[in-house]
Amino acid sequence: MANEIRAHKIRAGVSGGESVSAWSVFVEDHPVLLFTLPSVAVVFVLMVFPVFYTVYMSLHSWFASSLTAPEFIGLQNFKRAIAQDERFRNAIWLTIYFTALATALQLVLGVALALLLNRPFRGKGFFRSIFLMPMVATPVAIALVWMMMYNPTLGVVNYLVGLVGLGPYKWVSDVRFVIPALAVVDTWEWTPLITLITLAGLATLPIEPYESALIDGATPAQMFWRITLPLLRPTIIVALLFRSIDCLKTFDIIYVMTAGGPGFASETLNVYTFQVGLFYFHIGYACSLLVILFALVLGVSLILIKVRRGTW
Amino acid sequence: MRTSQRPGESPWTYLLLVAILIPFLFPLFWMFLSSLKTQVENTAYPPVWVFRPTLNNYHQVFIKNPFFMFTWNSMVVAAGSTGLALLLGLPGSYAIARFRRTGIALAILTARMAPGIGYLIPWFILFTKMKMIDTYSALILTHLIVALPLVLWVMIGFFEDVPAELIEAARIDGCSNFSAFLRVALPLVKPGIVATAILSFIFSWNNFLFSLIIAGFKTRTLPIAVYNFLSYEEINWGGLTAAATIITLPVLILSLFIQKHIVRGLTLGALKG
Amino acid sequence: MRMARLVLILGLALGIAYASSAQAAQINWQQFKGTQLRVLLNKHPWQAAIEPHLKEFEALTGIKLVVEVYPEDQFRAKTLVELTSGASSMDAFMTMPGQEGLKYMRAGWYQPADEFLKDPSLTASDYNWNDFLDKARDAMVVEGKLIGPPIQIENSALMYRKDVFQKYNVKVPTTLDELEAAAKALNGKAMTDDGQPGFGFVARGKRAAATSQFAGMLYAMNGTWLTPNREPAINSEEAVKAIDMWGRLLRLYGPPGSENNHWYEASSIFSQGKAAIWVDANSLFPVIEDPQKSKIIGKVGYAVFPKGPNGHPGGTVAPWGLGIPKTSKNQKAAWLFLQWATSKDLVFKVQTEAGVLGSRDSVWKDPKGRAKVPADLAESLAQGSKTGTPLWNPPVVAVAEVRDVIGNAIVTSIQGGDVKAAANKAAADMKRIMAETEGK
Repeated sequence: MANEIRAHKIRAGVSGGESVSAWSVFVEDHPVLLFTLPSVAVVFVLMVFPVFYTVYMSLHSWFASSLTAPEFIGLQNFKRAIAQDERFRNAIWLTIYFTALATALQLVLGVALALLLNRPFRGKGFFRSIFLMPMVATPVAIALVWMMMYNPTLGVVNYLVGLVGLGPYKWVSDVRFVIPALAVVDTWEWTPLITLITLAGLATLPIEPYESALIDGATPAQMFWRITLPLLRPTIIVALLFRSIDCLKTFDIIYVMTAGGPGFASETLNVYTFQVGLFYFHIGYACSLLVILFALVLGVSLILIKVRRGTW
Repeated sequence: MRTSQRPGESPWTYLLLVAILIPFLFPLFWMFLSSLKTQVENTAYPPVWVFRPTLNNYHQVFIKNPFFMFTWNSMVVAAGSTGLALLLGLPGSYAIARFRRTGIALAILTARMAPGIGYLIPWFILFTKMKMIDTYSALILTHLIVALPLVLWVMIGFFEDVPAELIEAARIDGCSNFSAFLRVALPLVKPGIVATAILSFIFSWNNFLFSLIIAGFKTRTLPIAVYNFLSYEEINWGGLTAAATIITLPVLILSLFIQKHIVRGLTLGALKG
Repeated sequence: MRMARLVLILGLALGIAYASSAQAAQINWQQFKGTQLRVLLNKHPWQAAIEPHLKEFEALTGIKLVVEVYPEDQFRAKTLVELTSGASSMDAFMTMPGQEGLKYMRAGWYQPADEFLKDPSLTASDYNWNDFLDKARDAMVVEGKLIGPPIQIENSALMYRKDVFQKYNVKVPTTLDELEAAAKALNGKAMTDDGQPGFGFVARGKRAAATSQFAGMLYAMNGTWLTPNREPAINSEEAVKAIDMWGRLLRLYGPPGSENNHWYEASSIFSQGKAAIWVDANSLFPVIEDPQKSKIIGKVGYAVFPKGPNGHPGGTVAPWGLGIPKTSKNQKAAWLFLQWATSKDLVFKVQTEAGVLGSRDSVWKDPKGRAKVPADLAESLAQGSKTGTPLWNPPVVAVAEVRDVIGNAIVTSIQGGDVKAAANKAAADMKRIMAETEGK
């Protein structure tokens, strides 16, 4: 391709009559390389180096002291996490619990909302703007506001549930409710994303299946379960993928609202790793936890991607 | 009720919509309301709904805290990382889209999966040794970790929409690769650039974890400022919500104006790939 | 003529004597003129009190101060991170040896200040090291080396509503049993200024944050963190009783959600008038006597931490101090700052202006020095500082992690769980952590 263009240019006497230098040949022949080089270089430095460092350090024991050097201990960190560290196992369980709960809630609510918003009505744009708000609001600020609302003695949430006769709860101070309470905050924040993605998916749905279903006398419920949902499946899976990745790594709201408490009842893996690495300064052990967390996220993503591909 | 078009809108729809809107907006509404109350009113139970609003909290926030500095820091870092991400990411995403290097696209998604702390620890150690903590450059670089993959991921979708024939035509007319990119493709994806830029700006603005560790005394950003309100004084709910309002207001307003673009950006990224 | 000469000689002699004695007392404060010092401070009443005076230091010495202030958790994390990196540019920082002294000393992060203190060219002779309270001075020495001067001292103390106790005719507790009885008696009684009921007892319950105040009760029960040969003692019978009691008080007579309460929440509840008793660091008293925020000004009594069942004194005594990192390139200049900030003049100023609980005996003896501090607070401070134990956190290297582990047991107790099992688990965890971090 580049040769033809060059030939064409020479024939047409175009491009300033300069002889085609080796450099411009190089540029023409390697567009991908040059165009992507800046970002790839930056990504490499910014992201790949830390990954190697993390994996490297996960095989060492180092307490970040400038006096003692890291000590190579092979897979001991991993062994310790999986076999001996109860706090780690607690963290894995809580991470999965939180993610499953939050994504399930968001999925159901988000899709339902999308179906509702898919009807024609005036002010669609306005409603969409409103729905964007929870997603773009600063998570730290939101977390603090929710903390205020969840306060057991002074918070407005207890007041509101009190109006329907439900007793005051301790919410994020209660080991039984802390994960669900946090999942509610995450749901409030991110359901709109699912809604938006689903809406976009709904917009691409073909009409024909519905028309033929109507002719066949299908009820709306049947049309939903047999046509809409299956057709939406790839879109929903993608939404699920994004949200799962983010939920598994949720940090801001949990750290700000409970710091992993009460006790360790909301200490997900990310929060635990933060404590271990940037509070206790067990750098080696923290790195091994990070490797495990990353493996978890990767595993879930691969499963979801496979599920999605499976529908094609 | 059919899922396909229906001529008139039912009042039920509106009712339902409003019913949904209320819980969605309530926390933001409560945040704003609390920022106008005095400490006494904020710690009253049952909660106070009608009261005389005061701007004292906002006054306190600005007097007791260098909020202008925080805002400026947040802006510099967000603008810097967004600008840099666009500069680096636009050519990259163009090439990936045009030459169908889907492998790189997947690699970017993988990058998104890694927990932020994994980047943080090595970067912190490096920056400290290079004495770069508490500099804008350090913050902008770390925010790039989020911004660049975002730009790449979303813009690939937009660039894929650019008809290949237009590019071919330009090339045949003698355009270099770079020219084709600059003069033909870029103008066509302007809405995408706007969406991505705004999204990237918002995510940088909201970033807490990276700024917590990398920012120093002079470069503290707004989320850190808000977090600091849980400080040695008692829980100052009025001040806290005033600060929270100040922080979220810009992004809320931003999102209102360009919601169409954001939606397209967010959803495109989801549908493609 | 002879007289005149005599006067002259006398005058000269006096003059010389005066000059040399002035020289002996004074050091050259300007000897590091032009240096810049980076100082990290915790957001704390002391910091708030000293900040308006920093200009005086700059004028006196010609040294420029760059001061950074962070809220406590962030401050701890920040200093730790800086010291760990080995490339810090800090020259001085607030430090609490009772919390991190051992870890930092063993890691070689402190620059011991003994030499500076003894050096007559660096330390004025009227600095008077012995003027500092005994326990405060002792606490600033870790593994035989001096970290720096103490800036304030605090106890884990009993703070209570005088008016509420009077109204319901309850005796101010001096023992733990009386404490529980009082909390029980006053729980649910009307005590806010609009007659609302309040809680009998409020205190920290948030995991790690609770351990330092719980320590007072631990000692009162005659328990301790470690045995003499550094084995965990947190599951001893006495310790379990202490954990059980702390949790029980909060569970039965405290606000719901105590397990998430740091002192910010606890002080808020107390200063809104919603609790009869607050156990915490008495250096926090400016918060509850702040006219802008507190509804209970003038109604608060301050007492020593209650004694245990065997008359064993409880409570802790802990100073905050200033330290110099070994990596500082301006150590001697930093020492001038440390010295100035804790000179009698400055201690007097912060104590009289802001009610900071300074650690100089002479200032306490001065009636003006006690002006801002409620009388019973001054008394209980003096008393508590003699009977309190300076170890308000376990003396281990991995303090943060061990605090979390013990704090978890406290949280379990608040929730009514099996305290003995939780304490055993905490002890096992402590042993493991200590082996990892101190084993060699």
